[in-house]
Amino acid sequence: MKLFTKYNRINITATIATFVAGSVAFYFVLNYILLRQLDGTLKSEEQEITEYVQSHKQLPEFQNTRRQWVTAQQVMLPMQNRHLCSKPFFNKQEDENEQVRQLTFSILAQGKYYNVTVSRSQAETEDLLKLIILVTLGVIILILLVNYIINRRLISRLWQPFYYTIDRIKNYTVAVENPLQLPKEEIDEIALLNESINQMTLHVYRDYHALKSFTENASHEMQTPLAVIRSKIEILLQHEELKEDSIGQLLAIENAAKKLSKLHQSLLLLSKLENRQFIADELVNMRQVILTRIDEWQDLVSSRNLVVEVQCEDVIISFHHHLAEILVNNILNNALRYTPAGGEISIVLTAECLRVSNTSASGPLDKGKVFTRFYKAQAGGDGTGLGLAIIKEICSVAGFEAAYTFEDSKHIFTIYFRQ
Amino acid sequence: MPYTWHVNARHLWVEAPPIQFYYRFILVFCTQIAEVLKLLIIEDERPLNQSMVDYLTAADYVCEPVYTYNEAMQKIDGYDYDCIILDIMLPGGSGLQLLQYLKKSRKQDAVIIISAKNALEDRIEGLQTGADDYLVKPFHLPELSVRIAAILRRKNFNGQPVIIAGDIQIDTIGKEVLVNGAPIALTLKEYQLLLFFVVNRNKVLSKNSIVEHLWGDDMDFVANHDFIYTHIKNLRKKIVAAGGNDSIRSVYGVGYKMQVQ
Repeated sequence: MKLFTKYNRINITATIATFVAGSVAFYFVLNYILLRQLDGTLKSEEQEITEYVQSHKQLPEFQNTRRQWVTAQQVMLPMQNRHLCSKPFFNKQEDENEQVRQLTFSILAQGKYYNVTVSRSQAETEDLLKLIILVTLGVIILILLVNYIINRRLISRLWQPFYYTIDRIKNYTVAVENPLQLPKEEIDEIALLNESINQMTLHVYRDYHALKSFTENASHEMQTPLAVIRSKIEILLQHEELKEDSIGQLLAIENAAKKLSKLHQSLLLLSKLENRQFIADELVNMRQVILTRIDEWQDLVSSRNLVVEVQCEDVIISFHHHLAEILVNNILNNALRYTPAGGEISIVLTAECLRVSNTSASGPLDKGKVFTRFYKAQAGGDGTGLGLAIIKEICSVAGFEAAYTFEDSKHIFTIYFRQ
Repeated sequence: MPYTWHVNARHLWVEAPPIQFYYRFILVFCTQIAEVLKLLIIEDERPLNQSMVDYLTAADYVCEPVYTYNEAMQKIDGYDYDCIILDIMLPGGSGLQLLQYLKKSRKQDAVIIISAKNALEDRIEGLQTGADDYLVKPFHLPELSVRIAAILRRKNFNGQPVIIAGDIQIDTIGKEVLVNGAPIALTLKEYQLLLFFVVNRNKVLSKNSIVEHLWGDDMDFVANHDFIYTHIKNLRKKIVAAGGNDSIRSVYGVGYKMQVQ
């Protein structure tokens, strides 16, 4: 429900309720006033009759009209007080029931007591009331109509800056853009919103860049000591008098240093991917990327007696060159690393997907965990444990989907290019 | 130039005993005569700088280590080098600024950037600024050596297009290898391997460094680097068949070494 629809509902309900309550109160007040007025007329009639009787000592000739008439009736005992009441009356002339107001009072004329009743039709009062109710209804309908028109025309224009702001926020990526510079608006609320968002994106932007430069610096600063370790080991290895045992230890140190360096590079890549620092908008010939990689593989494949089957269609997709190379590298290296000597690797590239399968030395991997960081099916191993996590992250950058299945004792990794 | 020279001299006077200044002077003089290749090594991490100096001095280069931006600026201003090995992040300034300065003052020194930054943009930036090569830390010293040799050959100052190591001659322009004057046919990988050995002759080369040189560092995941054995075996066979010395020998547990007098 839109904010204004909600507001409108409450507003209209309250307006109608107020009008109805107001009309009811108005009705009673008006009714009371009109009756008082009517009563006043009746009383002045009474006064006229009384005055006439006092001066002429007899009852006057009553002049009856359609709206007002007077009757007199001789009684034995006079009434203590005058009596006012409304009662239904059948009007013969107009052939309808109508309310009449009657004032009855006693008067002494020529030694006899008369009860004189002055009657006056209430029809006019009722007409007036009807009119008032009609006007009230009319005003309510008018309010609803005006509200509707305001909603349709004005509101959408009033909210325009709000939707503009929302649009800008939706499309904002902190990795590529500067902080948002939303315009100053006339309307206080929108101006406040824009200003707050400008401030917020500025903070986010600063924090993001601080974190980014920290990650990068930390990673880079570590490469230099690693370079020292590696170079010192290489110098040491030149010494002729090194014992076999020492050589083994040195190489173990070198391998660890190398793994550390790889690990840092991979983590850095992952954080860049997560920060969306790559934009997949280049046309990449996947077939070429794969074939180039396989070509570089040749020595390894033949040294381990692997059977590699390649079926590649000419596929050009919107991707990022560097990421395509990393993706292909990682997925192929993964297959190569875990295929036992003499095993089979199959690589199939179609317009829909890239599917790499390899014979497995072990059982199926945990589907839920296979793409998570540092997941290793086997203890030890020389990988960083980040290769598949990087594949997953690259896929999410490019809008692809990575899947793992296990069939016929083969690990199958599939990259679906478009969902 | 005398002014700069004077500043340098005074600087050395304060920092080091005078004998070293004369030693340097004599060295510079000798390099002019003997056409020794001079390298300026700009790297603030002293142990790493020392390693490079050790390794490259043993490869017959004359190396001058400097550790800060200002020192490097003085050296660049005062002398010409065949090749400058340049770290990007230096105390006092950026290596890229030094590179820009070099290019602006139309110096011919070749430059290899050694940087911890591995991203494609950083490489492109370095190369576009005018570096001849870009090596990512941590690197193998034999790799650095082979890159320097390649650049010097390409630039052709004092670098020899024909490399001679014992009875092997490599014509790097025609990519031709002669053993005792007779050409032998090598595959691309064997040629690269031989060049790597020849440039790093009399050095022990680890299997890791050989694999990374020939196949790039993506191959490093293969724990067992025995597949290079085939290539080395074939290379040795071809050299021996052409009547050459079998100068490549394996160093147990580490890798290989080409022993040439």
